[in-house]
Amino acid sequence: MGKFLLLAFRNIFRNRRRTAMTLMMVGGGVAGLLLAGGYFAFMTNGLRESTIRNGLGHIQIFTAEHFQRDEVRVLDTGIENWRQVAATVSSAQHVRGVAPRIEFYGMVSNGQKSSVFMGNAVEPDVERNLGFSQNFISGGDLDAKPGSEVEALVGAGLAKSMNVKVGDGLTLLAVTSDGALNGIDVDVAGIVQTGIADLDARYLRIPLSAAQRLLQSDRVTNLVVGLDATANTDRVYDELLPRLNRGSGSVKQQMTMKKWIDLATYYKQVRNLFDGIFLFMGAIVFFMVLMSSINTLLMSMFERTREIGTMLAMGTPHFWIIGLFMTEAAVLGLLGAVLGVAAGNIFGVMLNALNLRLPPPPGYTVGILFHIRHVPGIMIGSSILVIVSLVLAAILPSIRASRLQITEALAHV
Amino acid sequence: MKDLVTAETVSRSFPLDHNDVRALDDVSLHVEAGEFLAIAGPSGSGKTTLLNLIGCIDTPTSGRILIDGEDTTRLTTAQTTALRRKKIGFVFQTFNLIPVFTASENVEFPLLVQGVAAGERRRRAKAALESVGLASRAAQRPDLLSGGERQRVAVARAIVHKPALVLADEPTANLDTHNATQLIELMRELNRNLGLTFIFSTHDQRLLEHTPRIVRLCDGRVVSDTHASTPVRFEIPLEGDRHGQVSAARVS
Repeated sequence: MGKFLLLAFRNIFRNRRRTAMTLMMVGGGVAGLLLAGGYFAFMTNGLRESTIRNGLGHIQIFTAEHFQRDEVRVLDTGIENWRQVAATVSSAQHVRGVAPRIEFYGMVSNGQKSSVFMGNAVEPDVERNLGFSQNFISGGDLDAKPGSEVEALVGAGLAKSMNVKVGDGLTLLAVTSDGALNGIDVDVAGIVQTGIADLDARYLRIPLSAAQRLLQSDRVTNLVVGLDATANTDRVYDELLPRLNRGSGSVKQQMTMKKWIDLATYYKQVRNLFDGIFLFMGAIVFFMVLMSSINTLLMSMFERTREIGTMLAMGTPHFWIIGLFMTEAAVLGLLGAVLGVAAGNIFGVMLNALNLRLPPPPGYTVGILFHIRHVPGIMIGSSILVIVSLVLAAILPSIRASRLQITEALAHV
Repeated sequence: MKDLVTAETVSRSFPLDHNDVRALDDVSLHVEAGEFLAIAGPSGSGKTTLLNLIGCIDTPTSGRILIDGEDTTRLTTAQTTALRRKKIGFVFQTFNLIPVFTASENVEFPLLVQGVAAGERRRRAKAALESVGLASRAAQRPDLLSGGERQRVAVARAIVHKPALVLADEPTANLDTHNATQLIELMRELNRNLGLTFIFSTHDQRLLEHTPRIVRLCDGRVVSDTHASTPVRFEIPLEGDRHGQVSAARVS
C-alpha cells in the first residue's frame, strides 16, 4: 500500500507544470469557496447575533392565544401574571434575564404635526443588562427612574419627519384596553437608527410602566429571554416548555414559546440567499475542477500508455490501474485542497486586516464591515468537494487505462 | 523433459484495410523447462507476435498455447492476468522501467503486485539486483542509468518473482555490442544457475552464436528449429563482477 501510494504521489509530479496548473485551479477553487463562505458566515453570524441583541432575544414567550386570534382590544391576548412567568423562566439554567415587552400602535404629535408610530415598551435596565442595544444617533438611553419625566426613543426617520431633537416634547395617543383614547407626554431622550429605513420612520420606544399607564393594562405582549449563548437555545426551550404549561400558582394562561430562529424572518431569508449563492458557487467549482481534470488525467493516461501496458503485461490486476489513477486524483485533490485552505486563510487574514467596509445594501442605512470568518466546516466541505470532483474525473481515464490492449499499449510511442 | 510451452498450429491475423494479414501461420513449437531459446527472423516475420501469444498478452486467431500444461486460450482475463503475474517475466526492447521508481523499486514491482510483504520484497529485489551486478545502483532512477544498466534492471525485474518462463522481445536492440553480449551472457547464466526458461527474439546474428536453440521464422512460419552442437562460450565478464562470474545463484 505504501509503495502504491508512493507511486501515485511520484506520478503526480512527473509533469510539474501541468500539476502546478491543476493545483492552482483546485486550490483557487477551494480558496474562493473559503473566502465567499467565510464572508457569508460572517454576515449570517453577525446578522444572527445582531438580530438577537437588537431585542429579539433567544426565546420569546407569548400566550398561546396570541397566535390563535387577533386582539379585539389592546393586550387582551397579553400575558397577565407576567412577573410570575418571568420568575419561573429566570430560574432555568443558562437564562441571563427576562425582559417584558409591549408592542402597541398610536399617534404621535408635536403640537403641529401628527404621525403614526409603532410603539415598543421595555424595562430599560433589564434591556441593558441583557445587552439589547440601540444604535444612537444622538442622546442616550431611556431613564425609568420613578417620578422623572417619561422619556422616549424616536427612530431617525420619525424624528426627522416630526422635526424633533433630543429634549423636545411629544404627545403620544393610543387606545386603552377598555377602548378609550388616552395620551401621555414624553421627552425625547434619544434618536436611534434601526438600520431599516421603513422602521426608522415609525419607531418609538418608551418605558414599560409608561406604556401600561397609557394603555391602562398590567399585561405585557411577550417576555423576551436572553441566554448566555445562542447555542443553548434548544436546551433551554426544551426545559422551559413543560414547566410553563404546568399551570402552577396564579399562571392560568396557556403559554407558547418561540425560538429566535422562528421569529427572525429576515435572517432566514438572508441565510437562504447566501446558502443558495454558496451552493451555486460550489457547483461551479465542482464542474470546473471535474471538466479540466478529466482532460488533465486523460493526457496523463495517454503519456503513460506504454508504462500501463508494461504493468498489465506483468500481471497487474485491472483494478490496480483504476485504483492508481483514482489515488493519484485523490492525492492531487488533497494537495490542492491543502493549498487552497492555506491560501484562503492567508487571504482572509489579509483582507480582515484591511478593515474594509461595504456600502449599505438597499433598504439599509449603515455600511457593512467586510470580514472573513475561518470556518472549519467550510474548509472540510470545500476540500471534500474538490477531492470528490477529482476522483470522479479520474473514472473515465482510469477505466480507459485499465482496458488498454496490452500489445497496442506496448507498441505505443 | 516436460514441455513448459506448447504452441499447437497457432495462427494470428490482424485486420488491415478490410483484409486480414496473417502474422503467424500454423506455428507449432515445444519448449521444455530450462531451455534457452532464440526466435530469430527478419522484421515482420512474426517474432513479437509469437512472443506476445506465448506471454498471454495476445490471443491466437486459431490454435492454442499451453503454458505448463494449461491451455491459455480457455482462461478468463483474470486467470490470464494471474498466470502472467506468477509464471512469466518480461524483458522489453525499450526496457519499460517505471521512471518514477528507483531501480530497486522497479525490481520490487512484480512482488508488490503479488502482495509480498515489504521486507521480503526489499530482500529479494536486492538479491535480484546483485545477480545482475547492479546492487550499487539500486537507489538510482532509470534516467540516471545507462542503457545496459536499465536492461539489466529489467532482467532483475523479470526474474525477481522466480517465474517459470522469461520472455524477452529484442532485449538487445537498443544496446551496443558489448552490453548486448553481456546481457545475453547474463540471461544464459540465469538460465543455467536458476533453471529459468528463456525465450527471446532477436535478429542480431552475433547473439545467435551464443544460443543453444534457435527457431527461425519467416513470413509467419517456422522455417527452421536448430540446436547448437557445441557448448556456448562466454568471454566478456559482467561489469561489477570482479571474478568474471555471473552471480545468478544469489537469487533466492
